[in-house]
Amino acid sequence: MKDTLRYKKIGIPRAISYYNNYPFYYGFFKSLGLEIILSDKTTTAIINSGTKYVVSDTCLPVKVYAGHVVNLLEKGCETIFIPSIQSTDYKINNCSKIRGLPEIIRNIINKPFTIIEPTLDKTEGLGFYDFWTETANALGIKDQKTIKNAVDAGWKIYDDFMTMTNSGVSYNEALQNAIEGKLLKKTVDIVKPLSVVIMAHGYNLFDERISLNLIKKLEKMGVKVYTSLNISREQSQEALKKLGEIQYWANELELTGCAAHYLLNKKVDGIIALSAFGCGPDSLMVDEISHHCKEKGMPLIHLTIDEHTGEAGFITRIEAFVDMLMRKKRNTLIQNAKPKAKADIINIKKEKILTGSAK
Amino acid sequence: METEQKLAEKEIKIRAKDRIIAWPRMGRIDIPLKALVQSLGAKVVIPPANSNEALELGVRNSIEGICLPYKLNLANYMMALDKGANTLMMFQAPGSCRLGNYTKMAQKTLKQMGYKFDMVIFDMYKSKMVQTLQAFWHVTHCLNPYCYYKGFSLGFNKLFAIDTAERLLFYTRPRELNKGDAEKCYHKWLRIADETNSVRKAKRLKKQVIEDFKKIPIDKDKKVPKVYLIGEFFVLLDPYTNQNIEKELGEMGVEVQRQIMFSDWLEHVLKPSIFYKKESHRERCVKYAKKYMKRAIGGECIETIGDTVYAAKHGIDGIIHISPFSCMPEIVAQNILPKVSKNENIPVLSLVLDEQTGKAGYITRIEAFIDLIKRRQQKYAI
Repeated sequence: MKDTLRYKKIGIPRAISYYNNYPFYYGFFKSLGLEIILSDKTTTAIINSGTKYVVSDTCLPVKVYAGHVVNLLEKGCETIFIPSIQSTDYKINNCSKIRGLPEIIRNIINKPFTIIEPTLDKTEGLGFYDFWTETANALGIKDQKTIKNAVDAGWKIYDDFMTMTNSGVSYNEALQNAIEGKLLKKTVDIVKPLSVVIMAHGYNLFDERISLNLIKKLEKMGVKVYTSLNISREQSQEALKKLGEIQYWANELELTGCAAHYLLNKKVDGIIALSAFGCGPDSLMVDEISHHCKEKGMPLIHLTIDEHTGEAGFITRIEAFVDMLMRKKRNTLIQNAKPKAKADIINIKKEKILTGSAK
Repeated sequence: METEQKLAEKEIKIRAKDRIIAWPRMGRIDIPLKALVQSLGAKVVIPPANSNEALELGVRNSIEGICLPYKLNLANYMMALDKGANTLMMFQAPGSCRLGNYTKMAQKTLKQMGYKFDMVIFDMYKSKMVQTLQAFWHVTHCLNPYCYYKGFSLGFNKLFAIDTAERLLFYTRPRELNKGDAEKCYHKWLRIADETNSVRKAKRLKKQVIEDFKKIPIDKDKKVPKVYLIGEFFVLLDPYTNQNIEKELGEMGVEVQRQIMFSDWLEHVLKPSIFYKKESHRERCVKYAKKYMKRAIGGECIETIGDTVYAAKHGIDGIIHISPFSCMPEIVAQNILPKVSKNENIPVLSLVLDEQTGKAGYITRIEAFIDLIKRRQQKYAI
């Protein structure tokens, strides 16, 4: 089958859909016999090169995406995979900018290159299988059996990846192992004094430059971090239903669904919402969740990022939030303690204050 | 049993004859909708026109990141409820943009504020006419088919008359000899359209409007640059939000043409496809935009691109593209427009509007753009 392939290499920008779907892409394209070229990890230089091409109102993830495409072109990759994911279910649509990614890239970059641009639009009846058939056809493969095998190979790696992340393996580790075909199981669960859930798009959270390494920063402060990858799709759908909300956005499960799951089972002490400045869907979803958080008394912080975000201010805000969570937890522990112990603590506090003033 | 009772309590039941209906403002939709609902036998409340006060009210009660139209819609609801309305109507088109979430959010916000009301929502996605009729039946419980015929006929004819008047206003304003004539005529016909109460008279309205506008003395030989106004639906239709850009341009001596008209859109959306024979605006846009866009991505993005290409091919001198701040489909359009402008050789000015837009800066940019167009015309004339 290899001789019918129109292209030998395919470039995948390390942005937007890469973060959630790369295991699938890897399995699919490898099975077709293509060499995958990834763009470099996001750096300030990549963001700047992307910013040059788009208008200023565009959100950060799209700027980053443009930067990655430019990076791929600089690497000499002439065929780039830019999917247009319009809707993931009937009447459940994506953000316009993600829907129009190929349109934007085609019109802003004036260089000759081929875009593989399949459409996934379940509202209009273009299903998942049509999406991959369109991709394979664009690559020059028409044989149904080959396509089916490739989709199966994609699913296998994707499922492995999801099993690993669901069991608590970190994103990078799970991705590495899934691609190598290994299945890692996390056995020891480290108990930490605090735990939070981050509701964010995968492309914001797992991109270490965009999220300014938020996960690692929190882990250093002794906070256990949960993300949307730790729960399955069904779990978040169920949580969303329990909360009385209707899914409207394609990536709502990643944000509202995930936050709702942890909000309802009270596994976490706080919620961190991370979104890019000017993100349309996020503005609504964060509002929705903050409304429920207020009712249930769950602390929530909304962090907004853009290409100018200063790291110092970012850290200060996270530290303040973690400190507040710690104080809240300590207070609830004291209040729930036995009355006698409580009295003791108050006495000790008084003594301390007295001695302090005596000095 | 208990839960059922509670549910019944929760739902605010309003009898059909007690309903007082209101809807958010959008262009001049208030006149035809009023005619429709009144002929179905219900009472209506029309919220006051959008103003600084309304915007302030909307901004105070909505979240930071939401787009401008929502803020004004919310203010309209609140003002209408304060005036005694108890039923709110709104259409929604899922799969477009944040518009699909407006009603959900507004309902939540208003309930939190302690208002009691019933919101009737109808989808504008496939089988629209059926849904629309259902919604109107739900609020009025009117069974007489003649009333529906009368209502829709009145509404549509008024809408056509208003849109014709608007088109003629755009044509006449830069050419009129006595300043202000066209504006006066337009407002006169708005009033007459509002007052008309019989189908026979409503059907004649359009002709009368055309005849009346012909009477205004104009300078027919005046060379007037033509500008297309494109962009987001709500901003285009609402004179408060777009700072009355049509009037400003008309007074500068520029003929404005707008492709997005309410009547065209509504006719295309509501009429069953068997009766709708001519090429709709959207179809034309999809055809013209093909070179730049292969798929519709929601909102009015494809219309924006399609109209620009169409304008370049039909002797239009420039494009002014307006959109509310952080409007997702229009940002995509903004990204594509520079290439269209370059390839089709037509100047484009993109203006982004939000609640803090200063009028002076806005006018300066438009003036500079018009100067550019005029100079370009001179260059091509030589």
